[in-house]
Amino acid sequence: MSDASVPDLPGSDGRPLLDVAELRTTFHTAVGPLVAVDGVGWSLRRGARLGVVGESGSGKSVMSRSIMRLLPKSRVTSTGSVSFDGIDMMSLGRRELLEMWGPQLAMVFQDPLGSLNPVMKIGKQVGEGLRVHRDLSARAARSAAFDLLEEVGIPEPHRRIDEYPHQLSGGMRQRIVIAIALACSPRLLIADEPTTALDVTVQAQILDLLEAQRAERNMSLVLITHDLGIVAGRTDEIIVMYAGRIVERAPTATLFSDMRMPYTEALFRSIPKVSDDSHARLEIIGGQPPQMTDLPSGCKFAPRCKYAQDLCYAEEPALIEVPAPTRSRSAITGDGTGGSDGGGGEPDVTHSYRCFYPVGTDDAAEALERNIASGRVNEAGVVIRADD
Amino acid sequence: MAGSGNAHLRPDALLSARDLVVEFPAAGGRTVYAVSGVSLDLAEGETLGLVGESGCGKSTTGRAILQLPRPTSGTVQLAGQELTELDEDAIREVRPRLQMIYQDPISSLNPRRRVRDIVAEPLFIALENVSRRTAMAVWQERIGELLQSLLRRAAAPLRIVGRLASVAFVLWILSETVEDRAAEGWLGWTQVPAAIIGFPTLALLLLAGAIALLGGLIWVLLAVMLPFGLMSRQFGEVSSAVGLAGVVVTTGASAFMLWRTWSSFGGWAKWLNSGGLILLTAVLAVWLVLSLAKPERAGASGVATTLSAMVVLQVFYVAGLDGGIKLAVLVASAVVDALLFRWVLRRYRVNRDAERERAEPRVREVLEYVGINPDDAMDRRPWEFSGGQAQRLSIARALVSVPQVIICDEPVSSLDVSVQAQILNLLEDLKNLMGLTLIFIAHDLAVVKNVSDRVAVMYLGKLCEVSEPDAMFDAPAHPYTELLLAAIPQPDPEAELGSGRIGGELPSPMDPPSGCRFRTRCPHAAQRCADEEPEMREIAPGRFVACHTPLVGETAPVRVEMASASRDES
Repeated sequence: MSDASVPDLPGSDGRPLLDVAELRTTFHTAVGPLVAVDGVGWSLRRGARLGVVGESGSGKSVMSRSIMRLLPKSRVTSTGSVSFDGIDMMSLGRRELLEMWGPQLAMVFQDPLGSLNPVMKIGKQVGEGLRVHRDLSARAARSAAFDLLEEVGIPEPHRRIDEYPHQLSGGMRQRIVIAIALACSPRLLIADEPTTALDVTVQAQILDLLEAQRAERNMSLVLITHDLGIVAGRTDEIIVMYAGRIVERAPTATLFSDMRMPYTEALFRSIPKVSDDSHARLEIIGGQPPQMTDLPSGCKFAPRCKYAQDLCYAEEPALIEVPAPTRSRSAITGDGTGGSDGGGGEPDVTHSYRCFYPVGTDDAAEALERNIASGRVNEAGVVIRADD
Repeated sequence: MAGSGNAHLRPDALLSARDLVVEFPAAGGRTVYAVSGVSLDLAEGETLGLVGESGCGKSTTGRAILQLPRPTSGTVQLAGQELTELDEDAIREVRPRLQMIYQDPISSLNPRRRVRDIVAEPLFIALENVSRRTAMAVWQERIGELLQSLLRRAAAPLRIVGRLASVAFVLWILSETVEDRAAEGWLGWTQVPAAIIGFPTLALLLLAGAIALLGGLIWVLLAVMLPFGLMSRQFGEVSSAVGLAGVVVTTGASAFMLWRTWSSFGGWAKWLNSGGLILLTAVLAVWLVLSLAKPERAGASGVATTLSAMVVLQVFYVAGLDGGIKLAVLVASAVVDALLFRWVLRRYRVNRDAERERAEPRVREVLEYVGINPDDAMDRRPWEFSGGQAQRLSIARALVSVPQVIICDEPVSSLDVSVQAQILNLLEDLKNLMGLTLIFIAHDLAVVKNVSDRVAVMYLGKLCEVSEPDAMFDAPAHPYTELLLAAIPQPDPEAELGSGRIGGELPSPMDPPSGCRFRTRCPHAAQRCADEEPEMREIAPGRFVACHTPLVGETAPVRVEMASASRDES
């Protein structure tokens, strides 16, 4: 990747912290192989924030678990390379992975109750990682746990430290999970839908907490969500996934101002916005997410896409890379395809998408007109005849 | 945040809930004040959005309107009919007009039933109430309800002890009777009632005490031993642990009694003659007849249990016989059983088939309304559908009885944004098509704004603000509404992250703050807010707020300054 040093990112030596290339995860199911993640590649610098967006089943969680090497061994295979600070994650054994989880990479899951041990006191759970990785005594781990609870904003930590997870509210539990993840000061935190089970107010608090801790510890953050609204103000770059593939990748500001992939546009338009009048019609994505064991040939989104033409059904578009139009600086480098980009001061800021008729181009407008004329898409832009 | 006061209610509402109070008993004799005097009304064809954080009582309010459970106090009127005073039967007749859609579509649909039966269920219940009342069924229902109402009054542990005791009581009587009469040989029919009546009440009390002790011990053991999740999830699981303990205790007690009786007689032959067994058979027969009189209510499993019990008894009888007669009785009872089973199953199935046939066109129609192809879906089961489709099925189930009001409890909270949009549009279409009246409960203000004609904001069991959505979202009048608005994630990287202002957690509903309940998190709180509970009042046409210093209308900002100034002085 870019070998230029980036002065405004302390601790960065120019190498990406995490480099994922050609990652492919296959589940061997009774009905045949299911490729949940198909040839995904990206890299992340130290201290950078990446958002991963997609619907349920788009492969975003499987991707994060593949990177963490959390998937079971039987009936699942992962290929490709995952390099964490030069260490090849894919070749690590169980014992070496245990060394990595905690001090190097940590994860926060969607359901806080499911990731906490119900019969272990909170203080012990928070301090457990420190006792294992830092060889702290029980007493030292407890005082470190106390500090961590304070840091993640748990009121009355002296009381909470001896309570059990079921005595806390959902938001507090998620704070505990974050405290556990932060305990050994990981260099990368992957948060997989950390706020989906929570209220909007608590969600805002948790996201603020993650951001504050990330900034303080100069940690890299991968924020996985189905809600574009969550990643909008809180990431440097966003990856949009569909059917196990990256369909668009751009710096956050570029993605929102100049989205190219019809799927991203459709996701964006389906969000109800406070600025809209009440009873405003939401634009929906017609059809169903694809059957992962029986993917369409060509573009996987074509059957639900309002711009889709014959070409889209025949041939799968490649991930095209163009320079991002804004000068906003991304902390993330290119595709992980090699160190060819930019030896100069600014890292290359690129925008990639996988589409023959990118949104906002004349081609797309014409394609949409043709589809409306042929009756495949209705006036509101919703696909009404899915199978062409 | 008071929500006391009914200034926002209208006279011509279709549904009107006044001063709803819902309180739950908590451990240590404390009380959870879940809903404390909420008044809502709903005009025909209107969608009322009910927003607030989890734990604010919005779902409890929705359920209280449905009488699930009944509110502690307050009134609910649907088209002029008072629901809180109706008995269980009458409520069942009202429910087809008042339906509910739940948050989690998968777990609110029975995984073992087919879509056609799930969607048609509200129709069966409606039909059953109107036309299926044989004298026997009514009698059975009355007895059942009497028992139920007695049981409902007792606290949960007492109820379990009662159940266990009654089972153990019957077994004890049988064994005692048999033992007492053993020396005399044959047990006379006339002696059975005397033996039962003569049984000392004291024994029952002792027994109940012992069983309660045993049950308690087992409960504690289970609570310690049962794995993840069980202890912390709510009541349902705890009571299932108690239920499990009940089964263990009952099974143990039965086994003990059987062993005791048998060992004191040394054989099945005496069992046969004991008469107690015949009594038990008679009880089971009555039970069977009652279940058969109304298989819809007893359910297939109820009937099956009864039949199995009969067969077990027959085995006992047959075992006591000798030689050729044994074989003959065995064959005869097998034939009788086969015929009986066949008759029961057919009766059960014929009823179901007739119902199904009558309901089918209606079910197909609503499935089409909600955008599900009935030809594909009718014979599938809920887990074969994705979350969004399953939510469509829930909506179809709610629509099938043509309700006047549907209460939607966070219907899109567990769905992806893209699916959420589909469901919101669907609800909007159905509303225009069928003139539905909805209560839409959610914590996401953007969603609520999209569907609602009127929005009510709740906080800790009280109402904060009731207003038409566009006005409320342009300029929130209550500080809590403002806070909720700031928390919405905006799909715009330029948007200000207003979330920094959101501090603190919802206070415990067991110990709500005095005065205005929001004051502990309110940036504008003054002394007056702690002393005096604000009343709901109209600050602009159609805008009602329960706040001493609303952010809209009159001279709001000045009042805020004055309040903080006076606090500084003091």
